[in-house]
Amino acid sequence: MKFATLDGLQAWLDHLAQGMDLIAPHDVDGHVLYRPVASSDEILFDYERPELSAKDYLLPATETLLRVKKQGDEVTQEQVLPDRQQVLFGIRPCDAHGMMVIDALFLEQDPPDFYYGQHRERTTLVGLACRQMWEGCFCTSVGGAPDDPTHLDVLLREVDGGYAVEAVTEKGTVLLKGLALEEREGEPPSPVADAEPVPVTPPEKWRPLFEDQMWMRHGERCLSCRICTYVCPTCRCFDVTDREVEVRAGVTRIERIRVWDACTSTNYRRVAGGHNPRPTKPERLRNRFYCKFCYYPEDFGPLGCVGCGRCVVSCPVDIDITEVMRDVAER
Amino acid sequence: MAINEPLTQQLRDQARQFLEDGQVECVIGYEASPRGGARPVFVYDPAEADHLIWSPDCIHNLVTYLHDKKKPRKRGEEPPRVAVVVKPCDSRAVNVLLAEQQIERERVLIIGVACEGVHGETGEPAARCVRCTDRVPVIYDVLVCETQNGEPPGAIPAEEDALFQGDADLARIEEMEPTERLAFWLREFDRCIRCYACRQVCPGCYCTTCMFERDDGLWVDIGIELPQKHVFHLGRALHLAGRCVECDECERVCPMGLPLSLLNRRLVREVEDLYGHRAGREEALTPLLFELGEEGSPI
Repeated sequence: MKFATLDGLQAWLDHLAQGMDLIAPHDVDGHVLYRPVASSDEILFDYERPELSAKDYLLPATETLLRVKKQGDEVTQEQVLPDRQQVLFGIRPCDAHGMMVIDALFLEQDPPDFYYGQHRERTTLVGLACRQMWEGCFCTSVGGAPDDPTHLDVLLREVDGGYAVEAVTEKGTVLLKGLALEEREGEPPSPVADAEPVPVTPPEKWRPLFEDQMWMRHGERCLSCRICTYVCPTCRCFDVTDREVEVRAGVTRIERIRVWDACTSTNYRRVAGGHNPRPTKPERLRNRFYCKFCYYPEDFGPLGCVGCGRCVVSCPVDIDITEVMRDVAER
Repeated sequence: MAINEPLTQQLRDQARQFLEDGQVECVIGYEASPRGGARPVFVYDPAEADHLIWSPDCIHNLVTYLHDKKKPRKRGEEPPRVAVVVKPCDSRAVNVLLAEQQIERERVLIIGVACEGVHGETGEPAARCVRCTDRVPVIYDVLVCETQNGEPPGAIPAEEDALFQGDADLARIEEMEPTERLAFWLREFDRCIRCYACRQVCPGCYCTTCMFERDDGLWVDIGIELPQKHVFHLGRALHLAGRCVECDECERVCPMGLPLSLLNRRLVREVEDLYGHRAGREEALTPLLFELGEEGSPI
């Protein structure tokens, strides 16, 4: 196996941080979050599962798409394009898996999402394998694994004295050029993947359960907040709005922004005229689960869930996607 | 944490009876969560009354769910009658909703629980409990409690309450210089992801259209950025001035660990000092901002 020491890794990361945006797990007042870092000192190397997924760096929570300036009769438009190279370091395999899920809609459907595509293009994914499955995790039930290299450009695994380094893609190989690697005997230890399997039920089994009582049972306790969708690596719904950023004598500037949105929120589905086809909490929560296990796989291919477990541990009223999956399987 | 068997049994018996007698359509209470601890449950069938539990994990303020029961299920029907399990802190929210004419007294059966304190995920007593000396809800139709010499428990004087610690966290914030305090809050707000969990869980936040979520973005746009988050949290706190019952649910549900209830607690104290008003302490209390009084007179 290819091996790098922590020192070697840090020197490489410090070098990368000079020329590109480096995003890595960071301690933000006691919360582990992926954040831009200026040097390797700011990076956490020993952490569980960052509380939010890394999707913010491909589909930012708030992204300016366009700037428009009107001065007198003259209107100018400027498209805002992300162009700097970006490395997402230390992301978990489930985060990368989530990006593949979003790709299936945003890149592989016509027309592709231009801005997401730009972010994807400029980004290299350097993953760090989980040594075990964390609370709520079930990646092994939905086609992933704690050390799954599939959707990454580089995969690191913790080994004695440093890291086993695997270049998964050409992009990864290029990025690794500056890292001091040595050849070592042996293989990295397998992660502890002992989470109880969760059954995945195919879309055709979900369809007839649409009116089932279980949606009331699970959904009535829902608060209609947006936690589950915002922590999720595959939830990708957004809203777009134009906002005034400057109005002064003769000059008006507006920005077109796109912002995360959530199907669990009350007004998500409301249409012109005020009608809301999903007026109650159970209907909205049902949609989230149907999107992940029925609509998304039917329409775009992959399952809409990568088993990261974030929604499981962060729901304030203990709505548990694995409980729902088991209930559906038992019908 | 262990289920309190005697209170659980009383709760189940009471709930079963309410459902069997047709007094209510639904009992909103707590059940054992598959993840450990407790979670809200809606019991419609008397045969399922045995799902209900009482334990120190029953931290959620269930009063917020009454808003979902204000409308009839079908057009033309009456809104349902429901029963709700409340702790002393939660019960004050019932009074607020009654005073603000959000719920009808005859449509809500209140199952009060004499509370010895609840705790959060860490197992430590909840912050709300170390500031509280109440043991019995301020409003209830039936009380579930362990009687002492045939009498229900009463409030414990603060000096005799082993749990009571006052509000040291708020004192720390109040000691800060304004610039330091602003920096503290901006740092906290920065972590906010604008998931609205604090608003959604709050029994006092029930506007049909939240002013921070208007389609026209009149006050704040939809951006998930520091200025919007700053305005949202301060605005929400102000909208709860004189209405917040200090149940701390906003803070409990925050996925980013913002100490949100500090904002509300500061305003609770302000309102109490100015007007001697503490939201929801009494059933018939007129909402603070509905009352006009002579200058200088307590309302």
